Amino acid sequence: MEYDWNFAIVWDYRMVLLRGLGQTVLLAGITIVLSTILGLVLATLRDSRIPLVYPVLSTFVSVVRAVPVLVLLVWMYYCLPILTGLKMNGFTTVTIALSIYSAAFYSEIFRGGIRSIDRGMIEAGQSVGMTRGQVFQRIVGPLAFQRIFPPFVNQCILVLKNTTLAGYVAVPELLYLGQQISVRTFRPLELLTAVAVLFIVTIVPLTLLAEHIEKTFHNKYYR
Amino acid sequence: MPLLEVRDLHKSYGALDVLKGIDLTVDPGEIVGFIGASGSGKSTLLRCMNHMEVPTKGIVMLEGEIVGVTHKGDRLVPRPARDLSQQRRKMAMVFQHFNLWPHKTTLENVMEGPVTVQKIPKAEARDRALAALKRVGLKEKADTYPSRLSGGQQQRVGIARALALQPQVILFDEPTSALDPELVNEVLNVIRSLGEDGITLVIVTHEMRFAREVCDKVIFLDEGRVADMGSPDHIFGTTENPRTRAFVQNYFG
Repeated sequence: MEYDWNFAIVWDYRMVLLRGLGQTVLLAGITIVLSTILGLVLATLRDSRIPLVYPVLSTFVSVVRAVPVLVLLVWMYYCLPILTGLKMNGFTTVTIALSIYSAAFYSEIFRGGIRSIDRGMIEAGQSVGMTRGQVFQRIVGPLAFQRIFPPFVNQCILVLKNTTLAGYVAVPELLYLGQQISVRTFRPLELLTAVAVLFIVTIVPLTLLAEHIEKTFHNKYYR
Repeated sequence: MPLLEVRDLHKSYGALDVLKGIDLTVDPGEIVGFIGASGSGKSTLLRCMNHMEVPTKGIVMLEGEIVGVTHKGDRLVPRPARDLSQQRRKMAMVFQHFNLWPHKTTLENVMEGPVTVQKIPKAEARDRALAALKRVGLKEKADTYPSRLSGGQQQRVGIARALALQPQVILFDEPTSALDPELVNEVLNVIRSLGEDGITLVIVTHEMRFAREVCDKVIFLDEGRVADMGSPDHIFGTTENPRTRAFVQNYFG
């Protein structure tokens, strides 16, 4: 089969694509910050001793994780205004929907990391007279951070890729713009390839950086 | 006045009664050993002393103050976290599995208590920590992370961490049970030398020879009760108690 590749078209539309990438990175950045905060709150509250908090939050986390993220997004964009009269623009809706979705995953990562810390580390802290807060700040927090870091980075990459769903509510992120251009130019293969390349050059350096940091931890403390 | 006093101490986990009314005292400068079979409650008793385990009934007194709780009318209520923190600092603990913090160097492990809990200036805490490390013969390992130390060295750092708090008493929870046999002596020698310096020590141990040589008082726990108590000569020699004799004979043949 013959196909006449024409990557010149990608160069012609480079500014549009870069703007899309900018939008994607911005969306992902805000989502990661919001869902990390929300995830930390969920992780901390779930283990609290206040009655009802645990069942309510763990149900919330399970349900949110089980729903396809696209459904969550479309539901928030179209149903929420019908039910509440609250109308938000696409960007805000996507940010909120993705943040809630990702927070459910982040909270599990954080909670698992915190709970994985050996009880003896905590007791040693208590034995020198540390309060609960000091034990968390000086011992459990830093140790959990090392455990949490790899899955955390992994989840951040998923957030970056999930932003491509924003196109469904017409937020001009990278994949959405790539598709718009290909409709206009009849060059979907070139444009989708370009989109993929832009995702790769964004995500792979992050992965490499994460691996480097992880290795540094290991060499410093456990070799 | 005794330094430590345990009065009618009970501890149960659900239906399981681990401690069934313990009374004992530890005088300043005394070296007290707890011996007994696994499950006899030795470690639980030690952990109740610094309120790591909350007693079901009864109290522990340190220098005349109740540990972890305080009287409010005729009820006992938990002390503020800060009070408990200060009491724990006076009863440093050395753990069976060392429990050094892997993300801190040897020196940082030892400095942590003085800096974070006692709020001592860093430079002073550093001097104190180095002195404690020197005391256990590991000053040259100050900048090493725990993962690069042998078990015996890790336990000596654990002892230095306790010493740096300048405690009234050090509680040892089976300090050599997790060590390879050839590393046991370096740790026991350090503990012995602390005793010679007059530091008050409470030691849960399976090292009968050590208990006999080093302790001033040996307490034999059996099924959650003090079954026998006395000088090493009494416990390891003249006692009439058949259970003590049976237990001790197991070790010495």
